[in-house]
Amino acid sequence: MDAIGGVKHRSSLWLLPACMIMLFFSFLTLAPLVWLLYSSFKPHQAIIRNVFSLPETIHFMNYVTAWERGNLGLYFVNSITYTSTATAITTFLALAAGYGLAKFRYRVTGIIYAFFIMGLLITPHSVLVPLFVLETSLNIDDTRIGVIIPYVAFGLPFLIYLATSYIRGLPDELEQAALCDGAGYLQIFWRIIIPLCAPVTSTMIIFAFISNWNEFVFVFVLTSKVVLRSLPVGINSFAGGLTRDYGLQFAALVIGTLPMIIFYIFFHDQIARGFAAGAIKG
Amino acid sequence: MKSFKSIGMVLILLLVSAFLFAGGKAETEKAESAEKITLTMLEYQDVTDESEVGTWKVLLETFYEENPNVELKIDTLFDEAYHNKLQAMLVADQLPDIMFLWPGKRTGQITSSGKIKDLRPWLKGYENDFADIAIAPQGPNGEIWELPEQVTATHVMYTNERLLNELGLTYPKTLDELIGQGKKIRDAGYIPIAMDNGGGWQMQSCLLSALVERTGGMDWLERAMIGKAKFTDPEFVNSLEVIDVLAKNQMFSPGINQAQYGQALTDFVNEKAVYFIDGGWRVTSLVSELAEEQKSYVKLNVFPEVPNTRGQRGSTAAVAGTGYGMHAKLEGAKAEAAWKWIWHYSGPVGSKIRQAEGAVPAYNLEVPADTDILVKRLTEFTSNVPAGYVLDAKLSQEGMGVLQPALQEMIFGNKTPQQVAQEYENWVAKNEPTRK
Amino acid sequence: MTVKGTRKLSFATLTIPAVLIYTSVIIFPIIFNIGLSFTKWSGLGTPQWVWFDQYRRILGDPVFWHGLRNNLLIVAVSVFGQIPLGFILAYIIYRRMVTAGRFFEVMIFLPITIAPVVVAILWNQIFSPAGIVTELVRIIRNDPRYVFKIFENKQLAILPILFVIIWMYTGLYMVIYIANLQKINPELLESATIDGASEGQILVRVIIPLMVHIIFTTTIFAVTGSLKSFDLIWAFTQGGPAHYTEVIAIYMYLNTFRYYNYGLGGAISMVIILLSIIIILLTLFVYKHFEKKYE
Repeated sequence: MDAIGGVKHRSSLWLLPACMIMLFFSFLTLAPLVWLLYSSFKPHQAIIRNVFSLPETIHFMNYVTAWERGNLGLYFVNSITYTSTATAITTFLALAAGYGLAKFRYRVTGIIYAFFIMGLLITPHSVLVPLFVLETSLNIDDTRIGVIIPYVAFGLPFLIYLATSYIRGLPDELEQAALCDGAGYLQIFWRIIIPLCAPVTSTMIIFAFISNWNEFVFVFVLTSKVVLRSLPVGINSFAGGLTRDYGLQFAALVIGTLPMIIFYIFFHDQIARGFAAGAIKG
Repeated sequence: MKSFKSIGMVLILLLVSAFLFAGGKAETEKAESAEKITLTMLEYQDVTDESEVGTWKVLLETFYEENPNVELKIDTLFDEAYHNKLQAMLVADQLPDIMFLWPGKRTGQITSSGKIKDLRPWLKGYENDFADIAIAPQGPNGEIWELPEQVTATHVMYTNERLLNELGLTYPKTLDELIGQGKKIRDAGYIPIAMDNGGGWQMQSCLLSALVERTGGMDWLERAMIGKAKFTDPEFVNSLEVIDVLAKNQMFSPGINQAQYGQALTDFVNEKAVYFIDGGWRVTSLVSELAEEQKSYVKLNVFPEVPNTRGQRGSTAAVAGTGYGMHAKLEGAKAEAAWKWIWHYSGPVGSKIRQAEGAVPAYNLEVPADTDILVKRLTEFTSNVPAGYVLDAKLSQEGMGVLQPALQEMIFGNKTPQQVAQEYENWVAKNEPTRK
Repeated sequence: MTVKGTRKLSFATLTIPAVLIYTSVIIFPIIFNIGLSFTKWSGLGTPQWVWFDQYRRILGDPVFWHGLRNNLLIVAVSVFGQIPLGFILAYIIYRRMVTAGRFFEVMIFLPITIAPVVVAILWNQIFSPAGIVTELVRIIRNDPRYVFKIFENKQLAILPILFVIIWMYTGLYMVIYIANLQKINPELLESATIDGASEGQILVRVIIPLMVHIIFTTTIFAVTGSLKSFDLIWAFTQGGPAHYTEVIAIYMYLNTFRYYNYGLGGAISMVIILLSIIIILLTLFVYKHFEKKYE
């Protein structure tokens, strides 16, 4: 990759403002995170006296209290369960549908595709009440399945978009050759399409993971049992407008933010590569 | 193809975990023994509030001690999330057996649905044990939907007497006198009246409601609700004028409409403001955030006399507090058990527990000697200061969505009191349920 | 079974699971919403059929129009702010015009992973009337009552939020562009350099034509995301003061969840969808125009 784009630049006149933008953005990103981190070690009283001072002593109690009172340990496990399950199902279904929509040219294909793309326009709030009515009548409210299904449904449009556009760009010859060898379409999907989709699959997984991790409206409306709640619900109970213990609030926010940041830094390369693979083909 | 393998592995792992964890209702419900009564409950609690959490724990423990045969299945939410959930439950006809309700409009949709039981039959004979305002009718036929845990004064003018003395001032008797103090306070680098109105409800609930009682009175408001009086009447406009005049004279915190709820409290705790207008519920925060010495010079007052007073002099605004109510479908032993909880929470046992943590219960109790000084002052305030209606407890939420932004515009100087009154009256005339 | 038959069956097996889940969760509620948007319903009893009253009410409400204006501004900063900026930043990193490109890449992308509520809290601690910057300005201007008036101006109050939106989402576009730039055949650039093309010429003649499609795709994302935007503004201001920073999604939320106007809420959802479709069609039209130009 190193050879690519390594062309020597000549004019650097417009580089200065660009560099400043980069520095500025980096500052904007780092400053809040650093501030949040050290403030989370201050007790509430110290925060209201001076929000920007450094902690005098490390007040770790914020974390202990937030973790216990907010049930964050349990919620953490639930979040991982929901997020990974929904991510797996969504990715798999989107690959299957993507294959169908990309390579099978029926009249309905275009209609179904447009149907899915329309999903990008829907806000969760507008389906909340009908969805709750639906789930209670099917008796799947207050179950893990009942939480995962909406996650999957809301993840599908974008993932199907990524999968379809990627698979469309794959050459038809491989499929034809396999057909001649007597393979069925489902075998082709399993043996040829999925392996070829590896790069776009990682993008899909990461995308679904990020959005599922942060989702919380569905969880609190669709579940009542504490054992079914997820991390963002716990975090939000500390971060709402009426609460007044900034120390706890900040500790909870760190607990909620950190996993995503670690996840991102860890998977940075896959994200970058996956985008290239997934998005350029129409 | 190495990357394919690892991604394949991840996918398979995730799918396996899906099948392992996805079953939720598979969890077997314990077979209910004959006398065990299980009730579902939607509870409203701020889990970040230390004292609330502690009180709640004690409340539950004492309840289970007394009622070992009752099991409560509790779902806890707070703020916006609580209301969203309750609303979805109402639409799906899935309301819990016991839920936390507001006496006024905040949960008006729920209490007027016919799905909540009237508590009067149970309450009979105990009425005198509660503060009068607490058991004021909540429904159109005098129904009591929830048993209030406390009486809430929505307007208190907290005063820092140390700063007043330092500036050589005394608590003002009239509006003019208050405004006259403004310059001196500002010149000394303090905020005359700390208030935050970013949410819009604060000005309406914590100041306007009390002022409407002064310039209009409960009588007038009742007539305005059914259309026999109008919000364009001087009774209402005069109250708006007071706020307008305060804003024009820079009496409020600078940037009052940008400030989020809690900022004014912070300013007051840090002794940057001489006066601080908020609800009586703020005492709980003050108890934990003020030093003992500071508490001695923080006094609870009402807003000074205003011109054109027609209602009660020196009044605040108050509502019966929130409390628990039960689903109308409950009968027999279940209803009895639900009442036991409601009575436990707002009756003598629960009230005593909450009083120890700084609440002023609706149930009449002696104030123990070791109570925090600020709580004592609040108890005195609540029992001695006459009170009128709180606007958002009487008038619809949606109308508040018209009045409150208009108030903010008035504070910015973009609207006159007359315009605000006219705008609100137009909306009420067309949409307010009581006008139809 | 015929070859055609198996083909159809396979197609069905592949697509039906996704279609089923999607339809039940999204399409059913949407149909429910469409129906609801022609009624007056408070969540109880039978909805009352009112034809287009709710739509008429929306169109007659100045709060909606101000919200729409704010939404269109968000669309504008997304399309004309985030996308060009994202592209420029991507181009700089791709052409190695700065050292530590990787570091900047991470820094600029990271905001997406920060919860909006964290951003909102911090912002409030800095620029609110008690914030640190406000205090600083007070000292400099020797005016102890100074506050930022921009938040109190009906026309300008949305600007700070627009700025935060740019900061939060530019990274997403930048990463997409970097990835796609890296796929360009380096020989193309080398031969252009040998032919004596300047940096600007390379950008306009070689790179942009190759990127038109992806720019179009990201524009669609920007448009759909902008009209739905809710979380960030809700955490910041809840649309206040006095509706100055309200957007359509907040308008919908308040009417549905605060005021129990399900009919009105349903109608607003429909308006959001219709608007998105219109803007997407417009984008498509512009795109076709460009595509022809570069063919």
